[in-house]
Amino acid sequence: MTRRAGDDPTTNGSDDHGASGLGRRRFLRTSAVVAGGALVAGCSSGGTNASANGSNASSNASGGANGTVGNASGNASTNGSVGIKSFRGSGPLVESRPPLKGPRIDDLPDLSGTLSVYLGGGEGGLYTQFLDLLQKMYPKFNVKLRTASSSQLANTLITEVESGSPKADVFWAVDLGALGVVANNDATMKLPKKVVKPVPKSFHPNNQWVGVAGRARSVPYNTNKLSANQIPNKVQKFTDTKQLQGSMGWAPTYGAFQSFITAMRLLHGKEQTKQWLKGMQGQNISEYPDEFLVSNAVADGELAAGFANHYYSLRVRAARPNAPIELAFTKGDAGALINAAGVEVIKGTERRQLAMNFIKHLLTAEAQEFFATRTFAYPMIPGVPPVGGLPTIDELNPPEIDLAKLSNLEPTLTLMRETGVL
Amino acid sequence: MSTLGDGRIDIDRGTVLRGGLLALAGAIALAVVAPIAWLVVRAFDMGIESALALLSSPSTVQITINSALLVAAVTAGSVLLGVPLAVLTARTDLPFRRFWTVLLALPLVVPSYIGAFAFVSAFGPRGTLADLLAPLGIESIPTIYGLQGTVLVLTLFVYPYVFLTTRAALLSFDASQIEAARTLNHSYLGAFRRIVLPQIAPGIAAGALLVGLYTLSDFGTPSIMHYDVFTRMIFVEYNAFGRGRAALLSVLLLGLTVAILGIESRLSADDGNAYAGGRRGYTISLGAWKWPALAFCTLVVALCLIVPLGVLALWLFRGGPGYSAGGFAFEWSYGLNSVVVAALAALVATLAALPVGYLSARTDGMLTDLFDRMTYLGYAAPGVVVGFALVYFGVRYLPGLYQTLPLLIFGYVVRFIPQAVGTTQSSVLQVDRSLLEAARTLGHSPLASFRRVTLPLIAPGVVAGAALVFLTTMKELPATLLLHPSGFKTLVTYIWQVQDAGYYGAAAVPALVLVAVSGLSMLVILTQEGDDVR
Repeated sequence: MTRRAGDDPTTNGSDDHGASGLGRRRFLRTSAVVAGGALVAGCSSGGTNASANGSNASSNASGGANGTVGNASGNASTNGSVGIKSFRGSGPLVESRPPLKGPRIDDLPDLSGTLSVYLGGGEGGLYTQFLDLLQKMYPKFNVKLRTASSSQLANTLITEVESGSPKADVFWAVDLGALGVVANNDATMKLPKKVVKPVPKSFHPNNQWVGVAGRARSVPYNTNKLSANQIPNKVQKFTDTKQLQGSMGWAPTYGAFQSFITAMRLLHGKEQTKQWLKGMQGQNISEYPDEFLVSNAVADGELAAGFANHYYSLRVRAARPNAPIELAFTKGDAGALINAAGVEVIKGTERRQLAMNFIKHLLTAEAQEFFATRTFAYPMIPGVPPVGGLPTIDELNPPEIDLAKLSNLEPTLTLMRETGVL
Repeated sequence: MSTLGDGRIDIDRGTVLRGGLLALAGAIALAVVAPIAWLVVRAFDMGIESALALLSSPSTVQITINSALLVAAVTAGSVLLGVPLAVLTARTDLPFRRFWTVLLALPLVVPSYIGAFAFVSAFGPRGTLADLLAPLGIESIPTIYGLQGTVLVLTLFVYPYVFLTTRAALLSFDASQIEAARTLNHSYLGAFRRIVLPQIAPGIAAGALLVGLYTLSDFGTPSIMHYDVFTRMIFVEYNAFGRGRAALLSVLLLGLTVAILGIESRLSADDGNAYAGGRRGYTISLGAWKWPALAFCTLVVALCLIVPLGVLALWLFRGGPGYSAGGFAFEWSYGLNSVVVAALAALVATLAALPVGYLSARTDGMLTDLFDRMTYLGYAAPGVVVGFALVYFGVRYLPGLYQTLPLLIFGYVVRFIPQAVGTTQSSVLQVDRSLLEAARTLGHSPLASFRRVTLPLIAPGVVAGAALVFLTTMKELPATLLLHPSGFKTLVTYIWQVQDAGYYGAAAVPALVLVAVSGLSMLVILTQEGDDVR
């Protein structure tokens, strides 16, 4: 018996499984182990919750297997069912993974039909692999993909919407600022609560978009040059820390850096932000074109420390396990901002159901494990921990700001220009 | 064969033909300028007050000065590098001339973000060179950042414009005059200065103009080399969704372009007399100078090709998952896609450039000059600006063409047509008018004499123009990203994806493919140049 297509109008009804509790989900996860290759081969293990649409519910082999496995906890190895394994990355940073919690792909209706996705940011490269996996799982699912930088696609989408004919169903960008700008231009559809529910509220503040993979601001430092306690835990202190004089780097043209300065402006106001920028210039900070190069320069010893997104250092370390680079995080201020890659549905799409179901897939344990272990991102659902010994998302101390406001870049750029940083 | 009566009809037909040609050239010029007009509309979107504030801000003044300095220095450097190399490969007995011609033209396909990045890796602080020198006790090397580094890197990657246009001019140059000068006891150098230089000047000027305007539109190099220019600020504005401000800055940039075009027109105002004639083909014997000449060519090729490719290879072999392709699997079809769109763009641009370039060389009218200059505007605008203009146009007026190949190719033509216009024009200027008159007295119609006399003579110039458009299209990135059909990938979009994700090593293979494919295509193109290249 095969399952119905994912964009069947009854899809919404099956969302209730989110409410049916963790126990059942664990139960299903373990069932996937027993069912073996069910996930990839048929993607039809009996996950569909029958409660809302009994007529569509399947009762297949793996559904039967559910009954035979009572122990939900599993261990690290059995937890790596075929399903999870094909999503999980490899390498020194992904050595042992704890059991994962969260919605499962098995629980969701099949994806079926063609979805036009604008994918912003070269970091989306691994996301295309994820899309390939999904398309392998669901032979009837086809993604029409367009890639460019997040800001370019956001500008393109705004222009398209202005002219009344957007070409995308879903915008998936590596920067919340880009998502916010499109949303502010009245070009998005509100996401239903049940779609965004697995994610903490701060990553879907107005339900116009939802985060799918987080990126923490961090301070990569060279362990031969500095020790952890020499890194101030407040970003405001960096301007008068002697050890950092003449040995730090940043990438002011980089979007994530500008979001960081925007956060500082939102928290402390323009004047203090300006003073901070001037202070860092007084520290003789050097400029780099992007934050991978900042992190790389830290690993090389060209810099003692820098400002960069956390995953760049992990990537350096994955390539050079002995590189003397570690990460520090500031506390409760802009330096601890967590930005994210996220998705939104474009207004006027004719494939709303498919788009929503697609987003639900991005928020499953499998997808989140993929983002955590292959892109070194912060997972957006609490049941999946980050890799590389990073503090979990609740151990970090991000500032309390409305992330949707990060899209208001203009005043930030004015500040950066006035100080000559840009 | 032809009676007097026929001749009269011929003249009438010629007038009609010229009128038609003028209309055609005008239509082409308008078509390529139309998208740029959108910028002006955008620029008016923002209030006059904030517009004035932006225009008069210190940083705007500073980037204007910086941009002008950069353009002047890179143009001068490219002439100093391109002209001698063109003479060496076109008019001397340098060994392996075709080989050198291809290699020396190739730096044009190295995307600036790869070239500049490679130079920073090799010669920057903590770069490969610094590492090599450190054990010798040399603690620091002169910085590569700033104006000097930007000039060095840009010159090395754009001098081929001057190289190719000068070469084309030299190839269609009349040899009998230089022999006459030699019999009058002028040295080669003297003969070059007094006879050759004035005649190839339009070619050099065409190349220099392309260099200057390209420099204005380049984003990658100044940004990597820490030098603040217009494009960087425009890029920052687009990133920050300040589309109005980006448009205003672009309009300002266009103003600078118009100024440069004005200067160039004034400098080359007296090129009307440049009608060549007689025998083509002569060769200077290098003698013992062969070795320094070879060393010079080798040095340039090493800096322009071997350094960037070597650095990429280094990144590739560092290996490890951190440097792997970030999820982007490379496919060979990307190379084919690149070649196909570049060839189509070269074909369309060359055809469109013929009437414009021919007219502006053959008539002194204001209108023809205007059409000629209009085609340059799209070229000096950064690709991202042209790209967005065409997105807007496409979505609004040509929805059937939006995100299809024809609009992408049109985008390339808007950006690169002046490369073909300039070379066509300078080679038309060199065609001996007496030959045309002879053809006409023999009763050929204007069209037939164009086909049988002018076209074969200007072929090297037209081919050089096509080669320029081909090579620059191969590496064009911003407009490609904005206008490509969804799912259509080329070598540069692939390189962009892996580089943007920080996987620099993964760019090595496609960059090598880019250079290799372009090299092969260059070989094919250069064989069309004629028999005098051996």
